[in-house]
Amino acid sequence: MDQLGIMLAVLGAALAAGFAGSGSAIGVGIAGESGAGIMTEDPGKFGLVLLLQALPGTQGIYGLLTAFFAILKVGLLGGDAVSVNVWQGLGVLFACLPIAIAGYYSGIAQGKTSAACIQMIAKRPEETGKAVILPAMVETYAVLALLMSIILLNSIQF
Amino acid sequence: MTCSVDYVYTVSRLRAMENRLLEPGVFQRLLDSEDLSSALRVLSETPYGKWILEQQSEEKFDKAIESELLYIYSETERFVPDPGLYFICRLPYDIHNIKVLLKGIFNQKEGGKRRMDLLTGLGNMPVDEMVMAIESEDYRLMPFGFHRTVPECVSIWDQSHDILQVERVLDEALFSLQTRIAAEMPFEGVRLFVRSRIDAENIRNLARLKRMGFEAPQAAPFFHNGGSVPVEKVNSLLNEPFEGWERFLSFADVSRTLSSVQEHTGLDSLIVDLERSIDDFLSGILAKFKYSAFAPENVLCFLWLKEIEAKNLRILLVGIGNGADRSVLRRLLRNV
Repeated sequence: MDQLGIMLAVLGAALAAGFAGSGSAIGVGIAGESGAGIMTEDPGKFGLVLLLQALPGTQGIYGLLTAFFAILKVGLLGGDAVSVNVWQGLGVLFACLPIAIAGYYSGIAQGKTSAACIQMIAKRPEETGKAVILPAMVETYAVLALLMSIILLNSIQF
Repeated sequence: MTCSVDYVYTVSRLRAMENRLLEPGVFQRLLDSEDLSSALRVLSETPYGKWILEQQSEEKFDKAIESELLYIYSETERFVPDPGLYFICRLPYDIHNIKVLLKGIFNQKEGGKRRMDLLTGLGNMPVDEMVMAIESEDYRLMPFGFHRTVPECVSIWDQSHDILQVERVLDEALFSLQTRIAAEMPFEGVRLFVRSRIDAENIRNLARLKRMGFEAPQAAPFFHNGGSVPVEKVNSLLNEPFEGWERFLSFADVSRTLSSVQEHTGLDSLIVDLERSIDDFLSGILAKFKYSAFAPENVLCFLWLKEIEAKNLRILLVGIGNGADRSVLRRLLRNV
């Protein structure tokens, strides 16, 4: 039964890193396509475009961070071996879900917002500050999900 | 997550290309120009400058405008995923070229001259191929169903010598083609644009036919199907005074074209303002898609804006060249 508990915890870590990373990949891809469109006409906007393209990448980092926490918690990343029963494993799995789900969807949403803001700076480069704030608003919900995942992971007793 | 992002690159690139559109300040400077030379000097500071430099005389400014449009069309053709979007915009030029070539042939048969200088390279079909196909009467390779339309026009001319009927058949072909292409694409905005364009053309024809004194039964074939207002309804308006048209069409969006041109005493001045009102109406139909970052309709919107810009430039440069009153020119300008 310990093995199943460990497996559930590993599944949670994989979901957190996988889904949040996928959301970021899609989001960065969308923003990158938009940036390529702008830079074909105006290569001088590379700096601004890169900044906006990088924003949806943070969800992947949050997912990775949560995954590290999860596997650290069950002792798979060095330290003393921990006995994990099924319920504790399920707990780790559920604790990873907020960042997995919110990371996936917010990554895509942030990518779309970044793409739209890249279009904005194509016409109004002087509005770069506002263009960064709009996608950053989406980030809030990924941060909240990360916070909840970490709190939940910390609350599981072994 | 239902919003498609297939057009994210396309729309972004178009946003960057919108920087090629002329600012209102340029139009103001053109209006303030004393003569054609100074107007062209103003224009040479804009993206049109490259094309103006290539022209050998000032009177060739139309070629410069055409070159800029051609550049825009060939650029968009490279990155727009659905070719139907630019086919719809370029089809009127194909029809224009067919009209020029057919009228040239008909004129020549009656001892007149051909006007090859009126041909434009802005159509979907290369001009050389079209000239070759029509002159050799080998229509087989003509695209978009022109291989049926052109012989039909020749046949109508041979039987009736009625150029209005030939033009009607070609216009009908244009709108049915645009409707068909729009129907094949999954974009509601494109269908709305084509429907609105047909409605607007019907209103334009209605005003022209009224001025020419046509009766409803004679005029019926000149109205095109595919709009949101049934042709029977449009045709019935010929018997009504112009002042009542807006009320009769109040259920349709196209009635907006009439609301801004109510204060006219004659149909002649009305038609001039109606042309501007129709262009502004169609710009308004597409304008709402500018607020969607991924809408494919942005392609139509950009190409339409470029067309309207070209139209404004032609109005200004022809007017300035002929010494027209600047307040009259200002009134004729379309919103961009």
